[in-house]
Amino acid sequence: MDPMSRFSVVPSGDHSPGGPARPSAPEQLLRPAATGDETAFSELYDAVSSRLFGLVRRVVRDPAQSEEVTQEVFLEIWRHSARFDPSKGAALSWMLTIAHRKAVDRVRSAEAARHRDEGYGASNQDVTHDSTAEAVVERLDAERVHRALETLTPVQRQALELAYLSGYTHTEVATMLDLPLGTAKTRIRDGLIRLRDTLGVTL
Amino acid sequence: MSEDIHALSGAYAVDALDDVERARFERHLAGCTACQAEVESLVAAASELSVLTEVAPPASLKAKVLAEIATVRPLPPLPVQQDDPADETVTSTPPAPVQEQTSTPAAESGSRVEHGDDLAGRRRSRQTRGLARGWRVVVAAATVAVLAIGGFTVWRQIDKDPSRAIADQVLAAPDATRYGARLAGGATATIVRSNALHKAVIVTSGMSQPPTGKVFQLWLQDATGHMTSAGLMPGGGDQVVVLNGDASHSKGAGITVEPDGGSDQPTSDPVAFIAFA
Repeated sequence: MDPMSRFSVVPSGDHSPGGPARPSAPEQLLRPAATGDETAFSELYDAVSSRLFGLVRRVVRDPAQSEEVTQEVFLEIWRHSARFDPSKGAALSWMLTIAHRKAVDRVRSAEAARHRDEGYGASNQDVTHDSTAEAVVERLDAERVHRALETLTPVQRQALELAYLSGYTHTEVATMLDLPLGTAKTRIRDGLIRLRDTLGVTL
Repeated sequence: MSEDIHALSGAYAVDALDDVERARFERHLAGCTACQAEVESLVAAASELSVLTEVAPPASLKAKVLAEIATVRPLPPLPVQQDDPADETVTSTPPAPVQEQTSTPAAESGSRVEHGDDLAGRRRSRQTRGLARGWRVVVAAATVAVLAIGGFTVWRQIDKDPSRAIADQVLAAPDATRYGARLAGGATATIVRSNALHKAVIVTSGMSQPPTGKVFQLWLQDATGHMTSAGLMPGGGDQVVVLNGDASHSKGAGITVEPDGGSDQPTSDPVAFIAFA
Protein backbone atom coordinates (compact mmCIF):
# COMPACT_ATOMS: atom_id res chain seq x y z
CA MET A 1 0.00 0.00 0.00
CA ASP A 2 1.05 3.55 -0.37
CA PRO A 3 2.56 5.37 2.54
CA MET A 4 -0.63 7.36 2.97
CA SER A 5 -2.49 4.36 4.30
CA ARG A 6 -1.44 4.88 7.88
CA PHE A 7 -2.85 8.37 7.68
CA SER A 8 -5.99 7.33 5.93
CA VAL A 9 -9.40 8.72 6.60
CA VAL A 10 -10.65 8.73 10.12
CA PRO A 11 -14.40 8.52 10.43
CA SER A 12 -14.92 11.46 12.70
CA GLY A 13 -13.69 13.59 15.52
CA ASP A 14 -9.93 13.61 15.64
CA HIS A 15 -8.73 16.58 13.68
CA SER A 16 -5.19 15.26 13.65
CA PRO A 17 -5.21 11.62 12.69
CA GLY A 18 -1.46 11.28 12.23
CA GLY A 19 0.67 10.91 15.33
CA PRO A 20 -0.32 12.15 18.75
CA ALA A 21 -3.52 14.12 18.77
CA ARG A 22 -2.98 17.84 18.81
CA PRO A 23 -4.12 19.15 22.15
CA SER A 24 -7.53 20.72 21.95
CA ALA A 25 -6.16 23.56 24.00
CA PRO A 26 -7.20 26.37 21.68
CA GLU A 27 -10.87 25.53 22.16
CA GLN A 28 -10.42 25.28 25.92
CA LEU A 29 -8.53 28.54 26.10
CA LEU A 30 -10.83 30.56 23.90
CA ARG A 31 -13.77 30.19 26.23
CA PRO A 32 -12.13 31.86 29.25
CA ALA A 33 -10.63 34.46 26.93
CA ALA A 34 -14.15 35.41 25.96
CA THR A 35 -14.79 36.38 29.56
CA GLY A 36 -11.71 38.54 29.64
CA ASP A 37 -9.26 36.02 31.09
CA GLU A 38 -5.91 37.41 30.00
CA THR A 39 -3.97 34.50 31.47
CA ALA A 40 -5.87 32.04 29.34
CA PHE A 41 -5.24 34.25 26.35
CA SER A 42 -1.54 34.29 27.14
CA GLU A 43 -1.56 30.47 27.07
CA LEU A 44 -3.50 30.55 23.85
CA TYR A 45 -0.86 32.83 22.39
CA ASP A 46 1.85 30.33 23.33
CA ALA A 47 -0.13 27.49 21.79
CA VAL A 48 -0.88 29.03 18.41
CA SER A 49 1.41 31.99 17.78
CA SER A 50 3.91 30.02 15.69
CA ARG A 51 1.18 28.74 13.42
CA LEU A 52 -0.42 32.15 13.01
CA PHE A 53 2.75 34.18 12.73
CA GLY A 54 4.33 31.66 10.36
CA LEU A 55 1.37 31.82 8.00
CA VAL A 56 1.21 35.61 8.13
CA ARG A 57 4.95 35.80 7.60
CA ARG A 58 4.77 33.49 4.62
CA VAL A 59 2.07 35.59 2.96
CA VAL A 60 3.24 39.06 3.96
CA ARG A 61 7.00 38.31 3.96
CA ASP A 62 8.06 41.64 5.38
CA PRO A 63 9.01 40.88 9.01
CA ALA A 64 7.87 44.16 10.53
CA GLN A 65 4.54 44.10 8.72
CA SER A 66 4.08 40.45 9.62
CA GLU A 67 4.38 41.37 13.27
CA GLU A 68 1.87 44.18 12.88
CA VAL A 69 -0.61 41.92 11.15
CA THR A 70 -0.14 39.16 13.71
CA GLN A 71 -0.82 41.65 16.47
CA GLU A 72 -4.03 42.70 14.72
CA VAL A 73 -4.96 39.05 14.36
CA PHE A 74 -4.61 38.37 18.07
CA LEU A 75 -6.61 41.45 18.92
CA GLU A 76 -9.35 40.27 16.62
CA ILE A 77 -9.29 36.80 18.15
CA TRP A 78 -9.53 38.35 21.60
CA ARG A 79 -12.42 40.57 20.65
CA HIS A 80 -14.34 37.87 18.83
CA SER A 81 -13.54 34.96 21.13
CA ALA A 82 -17.13 34.74 22.36
CA ARG A 83 -18.32 34.44 18.79
CA PHE A 84 -16.30 31.43 17.85
CA ASP A 85 -18.69 28.61 16.99
CA PRO A 86 -17.09 25.21 17.65
CA SER A 87 -19.74 23.44 15.60
CA LYS A 88 -18.35 25.09 12.48
CA GLY A 89 -14.77 23.98 12.76
CA ALA A 90 -11.69 23.82 14.93
CA ALA A 91 -10.56 26.87 16.86
CA LEU A 92 -7.15 26.76 15.24
CA SER A 93 -8.74 26.75 11.81
CA TRP A 94 -10.87 29.73 12.80
CA MET A 95 -7.84 31.65 13.99
CA LEU A 96 -5.88 30.75 10.88
CA THR A 97 -8.77 31.99 8.76
CA ILE A 98 -8.58 35.35 10.48
CA ALA A 99 -4.81 35.45 10.11
CA HIS A 100 -4.89 34.51 6.46
CA ARG A 101 -7.50 37.05 5.54
CA LYS A 102 -5.64 39.83 7.28
CA ALA A 103 -2.36 38.82 5.72
CA VAL A 104 -3.94 38.79 2.29
CA ASP A 105 -5.61 42.15 2.89
CA ARG A 106 -2.28 43.59 3.87
CA VAL A 107 -0.30 42.17 1.03
CA ARG A 108 -2.82 43.33 -1.53
CA SER A 109 -2.76 46.92 -0.42
CA ALA A 110 -0.60 48.98 -2.70
CA GLU A 111 1.97 49.99 -0.19
CA ALA A 112 2.48 46.54 1.17
CA ALA A 113 2.88 45.18 -2.33
CA ARG A 114 5.77 47.53 -2.87
CA HIS A 115 7.44 46.45 0.35
CA ARG A 116 6.94 42.85 -0.50
CA ASP A 117 8.50 43.18 -3.90
CA GLU A 118 11.52 44.82 -2.41
CA GLY A 119 11.83 42.20 0.26
CA TYR A 120 11.12 39.21 -1.92
CA GLY A 121 13.84 36.63 -1.72
CA ALA A 122 15.66 38.35 1.08
CA SER A 123 12.98 37.34 3.53
CA ASN A 124 12.10 34.10 1.82
CA GLN A 125 12.85 32.10 4.88
CA ASP A 126 12.32 28.47 5.47
CA VAL A 127 10.43 26.83 8.25
CA THR A 128 12.26 26.81 11.52
CA HIS A 129 11.63 24.45 14.35
CA ASP A 130 12.99 25.29 17.69
CA SER A 131 12.24 22.97 20.54
CA THR A 132 12.61 19.25 20.66
CA ALA A 133 9.48 17.36 21.68
CA GLU A 134 7.18 19.78 19.94
CA ALA A 135 9.36 19.76 16.90
CA VAL A 136 8.94 16.01 16.54
CA VAL A 137 5.17 16.30 16.56
CA GLU A 138 5.37 19.22 14.16
CA ARG A 139 7.65 17.29 11.86
CA LEU A 140 5.17 14.44 11.76
CA ASP A 141 2.38 16.87 11.02
CA ALA A 142 4.41 18.55 8.34
CA GLU A 143 5.40 15.23 6.83
CA ARG A 144 1.78 14.19 6.73
CA VAL A 145 0.82 17.40 4.92
CA HIS A 146 3.77 17.10 2.55
CA ARG A 147 2.67 13.59 1.65
CA ALA A 148 -0.87 14.73 1.13
CA LEU A 149 0.37 17.49 -1.15
CA GLU A 150 2.21 14.89 -3.17
CA THR A 151 -1.12 13.34 -4.11
CA LEU A 152 -2.09 16.55 -5.91
CA THR A 153 -1.20 17.13 -9.52
CA PRO A 154 1.70 19.56 -9.94
CA VAL A 155 -0.66 22.24 -11.23
CA GLN A 156 -3.10 21.77 -8.37
CA ARG A 157 -0.25 22.01 -5.90
CA GLN A 158 1.27 25.10 -7.47
CA ALA A 159 -2.08 26.81 -7.78
CA LEU A 160 -2.92 26.09 -4.16
CA GLU A 161 0.45 27.22 -2.88
CA LEU A 162 0.38 30.44 -4.86
CA ALA A 163 -3.12 31.19 -3.63
CA TYR A 164 -2.88 30.15 0.00
CA LEU A 165 0.75 30.59 0.87
CA SER A 166 1.50 33.58 -1.34
CA GLY A 167 -1.87 35.33 -1.29
CA TYR A 168 -2.46 35.67 -5.02
CA THR A 169 -5.94 35.73 -6.52
CA HIS A 170 -6.99 32.87 -8.74
CA THR A 171 -6.83 35.22 -11.72
CA GLU A 172 -3.23 36.07 -10.91
CA VAL A 173 -2.49 32.40 -10.39
CA ALA A 174 -3.90 31.59 -13.82
CA THR A 175 -1.59 34.13 -15.42
CA MET A 176 1.44 32.96 -13.45
CA LEU A 177 0.87 29.34 -14.38
CA ASP A 178 -0.21 30.03 -17.94
CA LEU A 179 -3.57 28.47 -17.32
CA PRO A 180 -6.62 29.38 -19.38
CA LEU A 181 -8.58 32.09 -17.59
CA GLY A 182 -11.01 30.58 -15.16
CA THR A 183 -9.27 27.26 -14.67
CA ALA A 184 -7.03 28.22 -11.76
CA LYS A 185 -10.07 28.38 -9.48
CA THR A 186 -10.94 24.84 -10.48
CA ARG A 187 -7.39 23.65 -9.82
CA ILE A 188 -7.44 25.31 -6.42
CA ARG A 189 -10.75 23.71 -5.55
CA ASP A 190 -9.78 20.28 -6.85
CA GLY A 191 -6.48 20.49 -5.00
CA LEU A 192 -8.18 21.45 -1.74
CA ILE A 193 -10.70 18.66 -2.09
CA ARG A 194 -7.95 16.14 -2.62
CA LEU A 195 -5.98 17.54 0.28
CA ARG A 196 -9.06 17.41 2.48
CA ASP A 197 -9.88 13.84 1.52
CA THR A 198 -6.29 12.62 1.82
CA LEU A 199 -5.84 14.22 5.23
CA GLY A 200 -9.22 12.97 6.36
CA VAL A 201 -10.17 16.44 7.47
CA THR A 202 -13.41 16.40 9.37
CA LEU A 203 -15.25 19.22 10.98
CA MET B 1 -22.24 32.92 -14.90
CA SER B 2 -24.36 31.46 -12.14
CA GLU B 3 -23.63 27.84 -13.03
CA ASP B 4 -20.01 28.76 -12.39
CA ILE B 5 -20.38 30.22 -9.01
CA HIS B 6 -20.10 27.01 -7.00
CA ALA B 7 -16.66 26.56 -8.52
CA LEU B 8 -15.46 29.62 -6.59
CA SER B 9 -15.71 27.77 -3.27
CA GLY B 10 -12.07 26.71 -3.26
CA ALA B 11 -10.72 30.11 -4.21
CA TYR B 12 -13.00 31.67 -1.59
CA ALA B 13 -11.71 29.29 1.07
CA VAL B 14 -8.15 30.45 0.46
CA ASP B 15 -9.00 34.15 0.05
CA ALA B 16 -8.12 34.03 -3.64
CA LEU B 17 -11.12 36.01 -4.91
CA ASP B 18 -11.03 39.70 -5.67
CA ASP B 19 -13.48 42.00 -3.93
CA VAL B 20 -16.18 41.78 -6.57
CA GLU B 21 -16.01 38.00 -6.85
CA ARG B 22 -16.07 37.69 -3.09
CA ALA B 23 -19.14 39.88 -2.90
CA ARG B 24 -20.86 37.77 -5.52
CA PHE B 25 -19.87 34.50 -3.93
CA GLU B 26 -20.91 35.53 -0.43
CA ARG B 27 -24.31 36.50 -1.76
CA HIS B 28 -24.57 33.06 -3.26
CA LEU B 29 -23.17 31.40 -0.15
CA ALA B 30 -25.83 32.92 2.05
CA GLY B 31 -28.45 30.76 0.37
CA CYS B 32 -26.47 27.68 -0.61
CA THR B 33 -26.01 25.16 2.20
CA ALA B 34 -24.01 22.83 -0.04
CA CYS B 35 -21.46 25.56 -0.65
CA GLN B 36 -21.40 26.47 3.03
CA ALA B 37 -20.52 22.91 3.98
CA GLU B 38 -17.94 22.66 1.24
CA VAL B 39 -16.31 25.96 2.15
CA GLU B 40 -16.07 24.93 5.79
CA SER B 41 -14.35 21.69 4.90
CA LEU B 42 -12.00 23.37 2.44
CA VAL B 43 -11.10 26.07 4.95
CA ALA B 44 -10.19 23.31 7.39
CA ALA B 45 -8.11 21.56 4.74
CA ALA B 46 -6.28 24.76 3.79
CA SER B 47 -5.47 25.54 7.37
CA GLU B 48 -3.55 22.24 7.58
CA LEU B 49 -1.05 23.78 5.19
CA SER B 50 0.02 26.22 7.86
CA VAL B 51 1.93 23.43 9.56
CA LEU B 52 4.45 23.88 6.76
CA THR B 53 5.07 27.53 7.54
CA GLU B 54 5.39 27.53 11.32
CA VAL B 55 7.75 30.18 12.59
CA ALA B 56 7.91 31.44 16.13
CA PRO B 57 7.30 35.19 16.30
CA PRO B 58 9.86 37.44 17.97
CA ALA B 59 9.55 37.19 21.73
CA SER B 60 8.70 40.89 21.95
CA LEU B 61 5.42 40.37 20.11
CA LYS B 62 3.75 38.58 22.99
CA ALA B 63 4.15 41.52 25.34
CA LYS B 64 2.70 43.86 22.73
CA VAL B 65 -0.28 41.59 22.16
CA LEU B 66 -0.98 41.16 25.86
CA ALA B 67 -0.61 44.87 26.53
CA GLU B 68 -3.03 45.65 23.75
CA ILE B 69 -5.74 43.18 24.63
CA ALA B 70 -5.69 44.41 28.21
CA THR B 71 -7.12 47.68 26.90
CA VAL B 72 -9.95 46.13 24.89
CA ARG B 73 -13.08 44.39 26.08
CA PRO B 74 -14.03 41.19 24.25
CA LEU B 75 -17.29 41.49 22.36
CA PRO B 76 -20.32 39.80 23.85
CA PRO B 77 -21.64 36.69 22.13
CA LEU B 78 -24.08 37.18 19.33
CA PRO B 79 -27.54 37.10 20.88
CA VAL B 80 -28.95 34.53 18.48
CA GLN B 81 -27.12 31.94 16.50
CA GLN B 82 -29.08 31.21 13.40
CA ASP B 83 -28.25 28.61 10.86
CA ASP B 84 -30.75 29.75 8.33
CA PRO B 85 -31.37 33.39 8.90
CA ALA B 86 -32.26 34.33 5.39
CA ASP B 87 -35.76 35.21 6.46
CA GLU B 88 -34.80 37.25 9.44
CA THR B 89 -35.94 40.77 8.91
CA VAL B 90 -33.97 43.47 10.55
CA THR B 91 -36.01 45.84 12.57
CA SER B 92 -34.82 49.09 14.00
CA THR B 93 -33.10 47.09 16.73
CA PRO B 94 -29.88 45.75 15.34
CA PRO B 95 -29.21 42.13 16.22
CA ALA B 96 -25.56 42.62 17.00
CA PRO B 97 -24.27 44.90 19.69
CA VAL B 98 -23.14 48.40 18.94
CA GLN B 99 -20.34 48.21 21.48
CA GLU B 100 -18.09 47.24 18.68
CA GLN B 101 -18.20 50.82 17.62
CA THR B 102 -17.59 52.35 20.99
CA SER B 103 -14.52 50.26 21.63
CA THR B 104 -12.97 51.30 18.37
CA PRO B 105 -12.93 55.03 18.02
CA ALA B 106 -9.96 54.73 15.70
CA ALA B 107 -12.27 53.34 13.08
CA GLU B 108 -13.80 56.78 12.79
CA SER B 109 -10.75 58.28 11.29
CA GLY B 110 -10.25 58.14 7.61
CA SER B 111 -6.90 56.48 7.84
CA ARG B 112 -5.89 52.91 8.03
CA VAL B 113 -5.88 51.67 11.56
CA GLU B 114 -2.64 49.99 12.39
CA HIS B 115 -3.74 48.63 15.70
CA GLY B 116 -6.73 48.85 17.94
CA ASP B 117 -9.24 47.91 15.32
CA ASP B 118 -9.26 45.75 12.29
CA LEU B 119 -10.82 45.54 8.93
CA ALA B 120 -12.56 42.28 9.51
CA GLY B 121 -14.15 43.54 12.67
CA ARG B 122 -15.43 46.54 10.82
CA ARG B 123 -16.56 44.35 8.00
CA ARG B 124 -18.56 42.18 10.27
CA SER B 125 -20.10 45.00 12.17
CA ARG B 126 -20.92 47.33 9.35
CA GLN B 127 -24.49 46.15 9.24
CA THR B 128 -24.97 47.10 12.83
CA ARG B 129 -23.27 50.41 12.52
CA GLY B 130 -25.09 51.21 9.37
CA LEU B 131 -28.39 50.83 11.15
CA ALA B 132 -27.16 52.56 14.23
CA ARG B 133 -26.08 55.50 12.16
CA GLY B 134 -29.41 56.04 10.54
CA TRP B 135 -28.84 54.32 7.25
CA ARG B 136 -32.40 53.16 7.10
CA VAL B 137 -32.73 54.90 3.78
CA VAL B 138 -30.32 52.45 2.36
CA VAL B 139 -31.17 49.37 4.30
CA ALA B 140 -34.84 50.00 4.91
CA ALA B 141 -35.87 46.57 3.79
CA ALA B 142 -32.97 44.38 4.48
CA THR B 143 -32.31 40.89 5.57
CA VAL B 144 -29.29 39.65 7.40
CA ALA B 145 -27.55 36.46 6.60
CA VAL B 146 -25.31 34.95 9.20
CA LEU B 147 -22.66 32.81 7.65
CA ALA B 148 -20.41 30.84 9.86
CA ILE B 149 -17.32 30.08 7.90
CA GLY B 150 -14.63 28.11 9.64
CA GLY B 151 -16.41 28.94 12.84
CA PHE B 152 -16.39 32.64 12.14
CA THR B 153 -19.73 34.28 12.04
CA VAL B 154 -19.97 36.71 9.21
CA TRP B 155 -22.80 39.16 9.06
CA ARG B 156 -24.07 39.80 5.66
CA GLN B 157 -26.55 42.39 4.76
CA ILE B 158 -28.70 41.50 1.86
CA ASP B 159 -30.95 44.11 0.43
CA LYS B 160 -34.36 42.94 -0.51
CA ASP B 161 -35.76 43.50 -3.94
CA PRO B 162 -35.16 45.32 -6.06
CA SER B 163 -31.72 46.43 -4.96
CA ARG B 164 -30.30 43.02 -4.22
CA ALA B 165 -31.58 41.54 -7.43
CA ILE B 166 -30.21 44.44 -9.42
CA ALA B 167 -26.83 44.14 -7.77
CA ASP B 168 -26.70 40.43 -8.48
CA GLN B 169 -27.65 40.97 -12.09
CA VAL B 170 -25.09 43.70 -12.62
CA LEU B 171 -22.30 41.73 -10.96
CA ALA B 172 -23.08 38.73 -13.16
CA ALA B 173 -23.89 40.65 -16.36
CA PRO B 174 -22.03 39.47 -19.46
CA ASP B 175 -21.14 43.07 -20.30
CA ALA B 176 -20.15 43.97 -16.74
CA THR B 177 -17.13 46.24 -16.80
CA ARG B 178 -15.03 47.11 -13.79
CA TYR B 179 -13.42 50.38 -12.86
CA GLY B 180 -11.34 50.46 -9.73
CA ALA B 181 -9.88 52.97 -7.35
CA ARG B 182 -7.79 52.79 -4.24
CA LEU B 183 -8.78 54.97 -1.33
CA ALA B 184 -6.66 56.41 1.40
CA GLY B 185 -5.71 53.85 3.99
CA GLY B 186 -5.71 50.85 1.69
CA ALA B 187 -9.46 50.65 1.10
CA THR B 188 -10.62 49.83 -2.39
CA ALA B 189 -13.70 50.75 -4.38
CA THR B 190 -14.70 49.03 -7.58
CA ILE B 191 -17.52 50.12 -9.82
CA VAL B 192 -19.12 47.35 -11.83
CA ARG B 193 -21.23 48.74 -14.64
CA SER B 194 -23.52 47.04 -17.09
CA ASN B 195 -24.59 49.30 -19.94
CA ALA B 196 -27.15 46.71 -21.04
CA LEU B 197 -28.78 47.00 -17.62
CA HIS B 198 -28.08 50.75 -17.38
CA LYS B 199 -26.90 50.23 -13.82
CA ALA B 200 -23.73 50.45 -11.80
CA VAL B 201 -22.84 48.82 -8.50
CA ILE B 202 -20.09 49.86 -6.15
CA VAL B 203 -18.18 47.22 -4.22
CA THR B 204 -15.96 48.50 -1.45
CA SER B 205 -13.47 46.81 0.82
CA GLY B 206 -11.94 48.13 3.98
CA MET B 207 -13.64 51.53 3.98
CA SER B 208 -13.73 53.48 7.18
CA GLN B 209 -16.82 55.00 8.69
CA PRO B 210 -17.72 58.56 7.77
CA PRO B 211 -17.10 61.11 10.53
CA THR B 212 -19.88 61.55 13.06
CA GLY B 213 -22.79 63.49 11.60
CA LYS B 214 -21.61 62.79 8.07
CA VAL B 215 -22.52 60.28 5.41
CA PHE B 216 -20.94 58.88 2.30
CA GLN B 217 -22.78 59.97 -0.82
CA LEU B 218 -22.42 58.51 -4.29
CA TRP B 219 -22.42 60.59 -7.47
CA LEU B 220 -22.59 59.93 -11.16
CA GLN B 221 -20.84 62.38 -13.46
CA ASP B 222 -22.26 63.15 -16.88
CA ALA B 223 -20.35 64.17 -20.02
CA THR B 224 -20.47 67.84 -19.03
CA GLY B 225 -18.89 67.15 -15.67
CA HIS B 226 -22.14 67.63 -13.76
CA MET B 227 -22.57 65.42 -10.70
CA THR B 228 -25.92 63.83 -9.93
CA SER B 229 -26.57 62.13 -6.63
CA ALA B 230 -26.65 58.35 -6.88
CA GLY B 231 -27.72 57.82 -3.28
CA LEU B 232 -26.10 57.30 0.08
CA MET B 233 -23.72 54.54 0.99
CA PRO B 234 -22.86 53.00 4.34
CA GLY B 235 -19.24 53.12 5.43
CA GLY B 236 -17.21 50.43 7.06
CA GLY B 237 -15.86 47.19 5.73
CA ASP B 238 -17.23 45.62 2.59
CA GLN B 239 -20.25 47.11 0.88
CA VAL B 240 -22.19 46.32 -2.24
CA VAL B 241 -24.45 49.21 -3.20
CA VAL B 242 -26.42 49.89 -6.36
CA LEU B 243 -26.01 53.43 -7.63
CA ASN B 244 -29.30 55.20 -8.22
CA GLY B 245 -29.93 56.41 -11.74
CA ASP B 246 -28.98 55.37 -15.22
CA ALA B 247 -25.23 54.86 -15.26
CA SER B 248 -24.90 53.82 -18.87
CA HIS B 249 -23.95 57.28 -20.15
CA SER B 250 -22.03 58.42 -17.10
CA LYS B 251 -18.38 59.27 -17.37
CA GLY B 252 -17.47 58.52 -13.83
CA ALA B 253 -18.61 58.03 -10.25
CA GLY B 254 -17.52 59.69 -7.07
CA ILE B 255 -17.86 59.31 -3.32
CA THR B 256 -17.99 62.37 -1.10
CA VAL B 257 -18.50 62.96 2.58
CA GLU B 258 -21.68 64.97 3.12
CA PRO B 259 -23.72 66.16 6.09
CA ASP B 260 -26.28 63.66 7.42
CA GLY B 261 -29.06 63.17 4.91
CA GLY B 262 -26.85 63.94 1.95
CA SER B 263 -26.60 66.95 -0.33
CA ASP B 264 -28.00 68.02 -3.68
CA GLN B 265 -24.53 68.79 -4.94
CA PRO B 266 -21.16 67.67 -3.61
CA THR B 267 -19.94 69.99 -0.87
CA SER B 268 -16.50 68.47 -0.53
CA ASP B 269 -13.78 67.00 -2.65
CA PRO B 270 -14.43 63.35 -3.41
CA VAL B 271 -12.70 60.73 -1.28
CA ALA B 272 -12.70 58.68 -4.44
CA PHE B 273 -13.43 59.40 -8.07
CA ILE B 274 -13.60 56.58 -10.53
CA ALA B 275 -13.51 57.46 -14.22
CA PHE B 276 -15.37 55.10 -16.56
CA ALA B 277 -12.52 54.94 -19.02
